[in-house]
Amino acid sequence: MKKAFALSLATLIALVSFAVSADAKTTVLTPFDKRDWHVIASQDSDAPLRDYAILYDAGGVDGAIGVIGIPSMRTYRHIKCGVDLHNFPFSGSNAGNNNGTPDGKYLYVSDKGSDTIAEVNLQTGWTERIFALPKPFGIHHSAALSPNGKYLWATGELTGKMLKLRLSDGATTVIDVPPAPSAPDYPDTARDGSYVFSGNYYHSTVMVFQQDPFKLVKEIPVGKNPHGTNVSPTNRTVAVCDKLSATLSIIDVQQLRVRKVIPTGAGPLHNQWDTLGKYIYQSCFVSDSTSKIDADRGQLVDEFPIHYRVGHNSIAPDNAYYCSQNKFSTGLFTPTGIVFAVNFELQDIDESSPTYGKSVKLIPVDGEPHEGRMIFANYIQRWNTGKGAELFTKGYDLGDVHIEFGQAGTPGLKGVRPQLEPKHSDNVKKVWIPRDDGKPGVTKEGDVYVVRVKAFSYGYVPRFIHVPKGAKVRMILTNIDKASGLTKNPDVTMGLAVYGYYGMRTMLISPRGISQMAEFVADKAGEYEFFCQHFCGPLHLEMRGTFFVDPPGGQASLANGDYDSVSMQEQLLDEAESEFLVGTNKLMNTLKEGNEPTI
Amino acid sequence: MVFVPAMTKEASAGESAVGKGSAITDALQIGEITALGKRQVTIKTKFEKTAKTYELHLLPECYVMTAKRADFKKFSELKKGDLIAAYGWFKDGKWNARRIDILDANDYLVKRLDSDAKAGVYYKHEQY
Repeated sequence: MKKAFALSLATLIALVSFAVSADAKTTVLTPFDKRDWHVIASQDSDAPLRDYAILYDAGGVDGAIGVIGIPSMRTYRHIKCGVDLHNFPFSGSNAGNNNGTPDGKYLYVSDKGSDTIAEVNLQTGWTERIFALPKPFGIHHSAALSPNGKYLWATGELTGKMLKLRLSDGATTVIDVPPAPSAPDYPDTARDGSYVFSGNYYHSTVMVFQQDPFKLVKEIPVGKNPHGTNVSPTNRTVAVCDKLSATLSIIDVQQLRVRKVIPTGAGPLHNQWDTLGKYIYQSCFVSDSTSKIDADRGQLVDEFPIHYRVGHNSIAPDNAYYCSQNKFSTGLFTPTGIVFAVNFELQDIDESSPTYGKSVKLIPVDGEPHEGRMIFANYIQRWNTGKGAELFTKGYDLGDVHIEFGQAGTPGLKGVRPQLEPKHSDNVKKVWIPRDDGKPGVTKEGDVYVVRVKAFSYGYVPRFIHVPKGAKVRMILTNIDKASGLTKNPDVTMGLAVYGYYGMRTMLISPRGISQMAEFVADKAGEYEFFCQHFCGPLHLEMRGTFFVDPPGGQASLANGDYDSVSMQEQLLDEAESEFLVGTNKLMNTLKEGNEPTI
Repeated sequence: MVFVPAMTKEASAGESAVGKGSAITDALQIGEITALGKRQVTIKTKFEKTAKTYELHLLPECYVMTAKRADFKKFSELKKGDLIAAYGWFKDGKWNARRIDILDANDYLVKRLDSDAKAGVYYKHEQY
C-alpha cells in the first residue's frame, strides 16, 4: 500500500515537474513592433519582417537610390533619380554624424552625370523636384546641409567651383575656387553654422569656406589627394582621408590647422563617425580594410578585413552595424550580364557582440553605388493602411514634434506630391560592340565625327576632344587596361560620361574586350569635362578629359558655350513635368549673402 | 602650386577646444539630466575629467528619441537621471538642442566611454 502510494506520489511529482518545465519552455512571443533581429527564440514566423533601419545608397551609374533593410540587407526598392548619383544628406539638420538629424522628409542626391540635385521624398518614395544647377558647374557631391536644413553646399569638381543652394527655390551663389586645376570634392559642414570644408585633390588641401556670407577663407594643406572629409558630431575636428598618403588628417575646427596625422590603411577613401564622436571608421580601398580610429586617443585601434575593394561606407544610426560598399566583386556572384554587380558587406561593430568585427552579410548590388546613409526605419510612415489622406495633408509626429510638408520656411511643395521618373538617356543610340582597335582620336567618316577614346588605369587617350556644334558624333569607348593599376582586378570596367547635357547621351561603359558606342548630335556648344563613372581604382576620380563642342567661328570654353540653354535641363524630364525643375542660371547669385543665416 | 590666402579674421578663429574636455561651443553634449524646465534641460556631463553643467534649450523642431531604436518620446517623458546625448549648437548665449537621444547604459559605446574614462582616457580630452 505504502509502495503504491509512494509510486503514485512519484508519478504526480513527475507530472507536475513536466508541466512546470513544459510551461517554462513556452515561448514568449515578442510583440511584432518590438521584435529584434537578434531574438533567436522561435517566433510565429521564421524571419523578422521588419528592419530597424534603412540604408539609402546613391546608386551611381544605376541612376537610382537603392533602399536596403538593415540588418537583413534585403533590397526593398530603387528610386529613379537621374543619371549618375553620388551622394546626399537627409533633410532636417546636419547635427550629429553623417546620418545627420533627419526629419524623415527628403534626401538631396547629387547627379554627376546630369549636373543636378534630385530631391527624393522619403515618405512617398519618389523623386519630387530636380534642382537644375547653374552651368557650367560639374557637380560631384552635395553632402553638406546647413544646421537649419535650409541650405545645401555642393562641389563643382569638374570646373573648380563651389555652390550654395537655397532648398526652397533653388537660388544659388556660385564661387570660383582657383587656381586651376582645382577640384573641390567631398564637402561637409561645421555643425555650428561657421564653415564648409571640402577636400581638393588637385591642391592636396582642405578648402575652408564661410557659410554666410559664402566665401573661401583658407586652404589647409593635408596629405596627397584628399577625399572623404567629415566633421565630427562634436564639431571639434574634421577627419580627412589622405587617399595617396595612407593617413588620416585631423583638422581643428576652431584653429583651422592640422592637429594630427594618423597612419591608417592604404588608399583611405571615406569616413564614418559614430554618433558619439568616439570612433572614426575609415574605408581603405587598396588594403581592403576598415580602419577604426579612436578620436580620444588619436590612434588606430582596430582594423577589419574587407573582402572586396571597399569604396564608400555607412554606419547604422545606433552604431551597431557598418556597411562597406565595395567596388569590385571579382570571382563572386553568378554572371547576369556584361556589367557585374558590385556588393555591400555588412559588419558587426558592436564591441559586445560575439561577431564583433566580422562580416555578417554580403549582397550583390546593381549600379555602382556611392554615398550611403542610414536612418531608423520608424521615421518612415505607413501610408498604406488608410492613413494616407491624413499623412498627406497633416503630416506626422516625431514624439511631440509635428512634421509636415510645405511648412513655412521649409523646402517642399504643398498640396501635391509629384512622382518624377527622370530619364536615363535622351536622343542617343547606344550599342555594345566587340573590342574596337581603331586609332584613338577624332576622324570624319562621311558626315559623322567618329571619336575613339581609349581608357586605361588611370586616364584617357585622347584627353581633349573637339567637335563643331551640330556635329553628328559617334563616340566609341574601349578599355585597354590589362588589369586595374595597383589592385590588379581583372574585371576592371572603364567608363566615360560627359557631364551635364551630354551625360544622358554618353555614360559609356567598357569592360575588357568589349567596346560601347553612342551616337548623338552635339547641338549645344560648350566645354564639358568627361570622367570615368565606373570605379576603376585609386585614381579613378582623377581620370578626366574634356569634350569641346566648338561654336561657329570660335573655340568653346567655360565662358563660351550655350550654358543658359543647357542649364534648363529640359531633356531630363517630360515637358509636362517641367514645373518640378527649379534653379537654373536665372537664379544664380541671387542669395542675399550675409543675410542667409544657416543656424 | 597651392593657393593659400592670408588668414582672415573669420579664419583665425578662437581658442581650440581640443584636448580640454567639453566646451559650451561643442555641437554634441553627453550628460545626465539634473533638472528639467519648459523645453529646457540641465545636464551634468559624463566621461570627462571634470564634470561640467550645461543648460540646453530645445528648439521648436527638436525631438526626443531613444538612441537604440528611435522610439520617439515626448519631452515630458524625459526624467532626471536620464543619460542623454544632445545635438545642437551654441548661439546668442544659449545652447540650442536640435535632437536629444536617450542613451542606453548597456550600449557598448556608452560602456566604452565609461571604461576608458576610468582608465584615464577621458571623453573630449583628445590626446593630440
